[in-house]
Amino acid sequence: MADLVIENLEVHFSGVVALDGVSLNVREGEVFSLVGPNGSGKTTLFNCISGFVTPLGGTIDYGDLDLLSKPPHSIIATGISRTFQNLQNIPYMTVLDNVLLGNHSRIGNRETVRRWISRRQRELEEERALEVLDFIGLANYEQKYLSGQPYCIQKLVEITRALVSQPKLILIDEPAAGMNDQETMEIAKIIGEIRDYLGITVLVVEHDMSLVMAVSDRVCVFDSGNVITIGEPAEVKAHPEVISAFLGESVVA
Amino acid sequence: MKLRKPVTLILLITFFLACAGREPTPGVTDTEILIGNIQDLSGPMKELGMALPHGSNLYFNYINDKGGVHGRQIRMTMEDHQYNPQKAVAAAKKLIEQDQVFCLYQIIGTSPCEAIRPMLEENGIPLVAPATQSGTMSDRSKTGWKYIFHTDTGYDKQANILVDYAYELNASAKVGVIYQDDDYGENVLEGIAEAEARHGVTIQKEAFQRGATDFAGQVMNLNKGGATHVIIGGIVREPIIVMKTAAAMGYAPQFLGISPTMDHRVALGSGEAGEGFIAANFAQLYNSDTEGAELYRELFEKSGTDPKVMGMYNFYGFITAMVLVEGLERAGKRLTRDGLIKALEGVKGYDGKGVFRGITYGPNDRAGTEAVVLVENRGGTQRIISDWIE
Amino acid sequence: MKGRYDEENLKWIAPLIILVIVLPFLLRGATFSYRYYLYVLNIAGIYTILTVGLDLLSGYTGLISLGHAGFLAIGAYTSAVLVDQAGVPFGLSLIVSPLITGLFGILVGFPALRISGMYLGLTTMGFGFIVRRLIIALRTWTEGSAGLEVSKPVLFGFTFANDWHNYFLIYLFVIVVVVFARRVMKSKIGRALMAIRDSEHAAQAVGINLVRYKLFAFFLSAVLAGLAGVLFAHTMRFISTDHFDILLSIYFLIMVLVGGVATIYGAVLGTLFIVLLDFLAIPLFKDWLASFMAVQVADIQSLIFGCIMFLFIIFQPMGLYGMWLKMRIYWKLFPFNPKIKQT
Ligand SMILES: Nc1ncnc2c1ncn2[C@@H]1O[C@H](COP(=O)(O)OP(=O)(O)O)[C@@H](O)[C@H]1O
Ligand SMILES: [Mg+2]
Repeated sequence: MADLVIENLEVHFSGVVALDGVSLNVREGEVFSLVGPNGSGKTTLFNCISGFVTPLGGTIDYGDLDLLSKPPHSIIATGISRTFQNLQNIPYMTVLDNVLLGNHSRIGNRETVRRWISRRQRELEEERALEVLDFIGLANYEQKYLSGQPYCIQKLVEITRALVSQPKLILIDEPAAGMNDQETMEIAKIIGEIRDYLGITVLVVEHDMSLVMAVSDRVCVFDSGNVITIGEPAEVKAHPEVISAFLGESVVA
Repeated sequence: MKLRKPVTLILLITFFLACAGREPTPGVTDTEILIGNIQDLSGPMKELGMALPHGSNLYFNYINDKGGVHGRQIRMTMEDHQYNPQKAVAAAKKLIEQDQVFCLYQIIGTSPCEAIRPMLEENGIPLVAPATQSGTMSDRSKTGWKYIFHTDTGYDKQANILVDYAYELNASAKVGVIYQDDDYGENVLEGIAEAEARHGVTIQKEAFQRGATDFAGQVMNLNKGGATHVIIGGIVREPIIVMKTAAAMGYAPQFLGISPTMDHRVALGSGEAGEGFIAANFAQLYNSDTEGAELYRELFEKSGTDPKVMGMYNFYGFITAMVLVEGLERAGKRLTRDGLIKALEGVKGYDGKGVFRGITYGPNDRAGTEAVVLVENRGGTQRIISDWIE
Repeated sequence: MKGRYDEENLKWIAPLIILVIVLPFLLRGATFSYRYYLYVLNIAGIYTILTVGLDLLSGYTGLISLGHAGFLAIGAYTSAVLVDQAGVPFGLSLIVSPLITGLFGILVGFPALRISGMYLGLTTMGFGFIVRRLIIALRTWTEGSAGLEVSKPVLFGFTFANDWHNYFLIYLFVIVVVVFARRVMKSKIGRALMAIRDSEHAAQAVGINLVRYKLFAFFLSAVLAGLAGVLFAHTMRFISTDHFDILLSIYFLIMVLVGGVATIYGAVLGTLFIVLLDFLAIPLFKDWLASFMAVQVADIQSLIFGCIMFLFIIFQPMGLYGMWLKMRIYWKLFPFNPKIKQT
């Protein structure tokens, strides 16, 4: 029912066509992967959904909400949170604070003031964040400053931050970039758990085909701002255009 | 038994404290009077900050060599306020509480002096001859007015006199004023407003920011407004540039200056453009043939200081020192702060060996002199062209 | 479950507050000129209130302000005019004047929505100049640049008549402001401000309204500067345009930098350090320094401050507070692990 429906999305950057009439829909409860070469417009699509980029034409609807009419900071209230391809963290805050940051939209003014005064209230807030950290597997990191932590940890903290607001849809941009095989499998596992245990829809951009094939319900292949094909992993893998274009080697590898 | 030592110590300390408490007046011993001075030694006015106390010490040393005031030597201790009113207050507290000075003397700058008013009142400590000519120093509506003995003719008074003088030169004169937008200019404007009321005219006013180096706009406006006599409320650089700018525009009014522009450097720096520039001053010049100036020149030469700095500011320090010493002499052998105030209130028409018109104080009068002489610049030398004007 | 508020080392707070309370008594016992030292401490206290606010804005939110002397001036003049000319009680002015200053903060905040870094520094510096012009222009109330005498603070019928009284008044506010700021910055608001500084994208993605929070940072910062201004006016009892120099704004920023940004405690330490240096230490040895260095006495002040800031930025970017934290860890681990591993 709360599907993300994107139609005819068109984005130009001073002459460069980043998205050329993209249409797709993400169904509730699935893991939907976007793959495609660098510069094919995947991140731009994310930026359109979260309001950072205003498209030239097209629509993005989430359930019966028109996302394009909302400023970036109102997107999270619709139940959509996201991570970024390049780390967007607050290095001089602790891991726990970074995670609590994700809770921002859930705390009203009155609650904020109450938390200045009441220690109990603060602890309640923290407990919830710590549960999510535990879920992701960062249980012992909460007191550490993010600055200086390994890339992999920082990436996971970003995912935790996106999860703590209890979204219905989470957008994850290249979670496994720069990670080794073991860490990639870890991420794959987490993505599966997000869908299965938390019941959150996942829209993920990823280059690592083993990860994509392992966790996706459906895969969408992008090239130069166009959708080449959408389908289940096996279908997509077999799609001739995809194989000839770019997938071939990496699937084998 | 163990207690004996601390107890003795405490008793001793109490004894000394008690002795200290019985001392009649801070800063005064049988052989010495300690006075406190706060100068700008490292801020925007540091050149004055060095010159003024140097001149004062010439006179104090002269008096000390003659045996001091009632057998007491005058010693001046200095603090630096960098022309920052807050530091001035800190320095004053230090002088009063830590150094225990008898009185304050010559603190430079209007805002530093204004800032320490509450302290003067709180401590009942006099400030003699603040080194600012702002008329507000002798304003009796202000906190602590009782403790400030101002020597100089206020800027307001000077502006007033200069307007009169312009009309004296030319009954159909059109007067303009160009002033600095700070406390100095503020005080000049007060005098201008008074003169406007008396003459029933409006005077064209042009303001410039402190530290400005370009006055083309203001001079152009004065030219357009047809001012024939222009009063300059600047210091040294401003009158030079104003007069040069006017000369370059072919605009040649009679320029008149408030006392800070009387500095010798204006006469030297303005060249052709400053020919005939007339500035007011509240005292005779250092090169005049008054007895005070002669004594000054003699002492200055003996001190071996660079003759280049002989001019206005050293002399200014020198003559205000005479006023303080006059007060101390009058206060008598049993010196107290109240005594000094009473004594100064009794000063009437003190002319400082001919350099003043006559400094007069009273129970309700804190303005020393209210007269000026006019100093004209001809060919780079300054010469007095008028009698005392009030 | 272990929360991070256990980290907030509350056991230091009580002794510190006690120290603040007994310090004047110690000073009085130690020296005749204690009021002189109290005066310097009072200045430090007033500036601390302001620099804590500046830390919120420039440290936490990353919005550089070189106009805080302007906010200080607005608070001071507003209160002076309200209390002495409009008859508003001092206690009410303590609330109203900072709020009015806060409105000016919002006004200055608007350009900050579009610019940042150096340009914002220049814009806010321009604001400082405008305030000065404004004070001169409104001479009916401010007496122009001649300066304004201000009445003593009166609260509940009690007149704060001297440095001794003022000390307790000022440091009451210092403690309240520091505790309050520390709390606010450890809450949702502080996290939001830091997020704006480090990643506007992340901030927006978690639902932070940039416009609202940037303006709020300016507002809160200006309110604190305004509060400092009120205390400044009534305890110094004379204010003039000379008090609120552009240089002062720069000093404020140095205080925050030297103390350590985005910690609140850093602003406190930095302010104490710089004010004590400026008023007590430098006057003692500047003549001595000038005697063997080829510089003018006048330049030594700026030289020293410049060097201090430079050294801190290069060697101790976490500031005095960072040094203190390291020291504490060092002592805790002392006999076993003298090598500090930074986390
Ligand atoms: N803010 C921007 N300004 C200009 N061009 C952009 C911007 N963002 C992306 N692009 C361009 O749009 C195209 C798509 O980029 P992007 O969506 O980041 O690709 P992907 O995430 O698939 O690697 C690229 O050619 C990129 O250079
Ligand atoms: Mg991308």
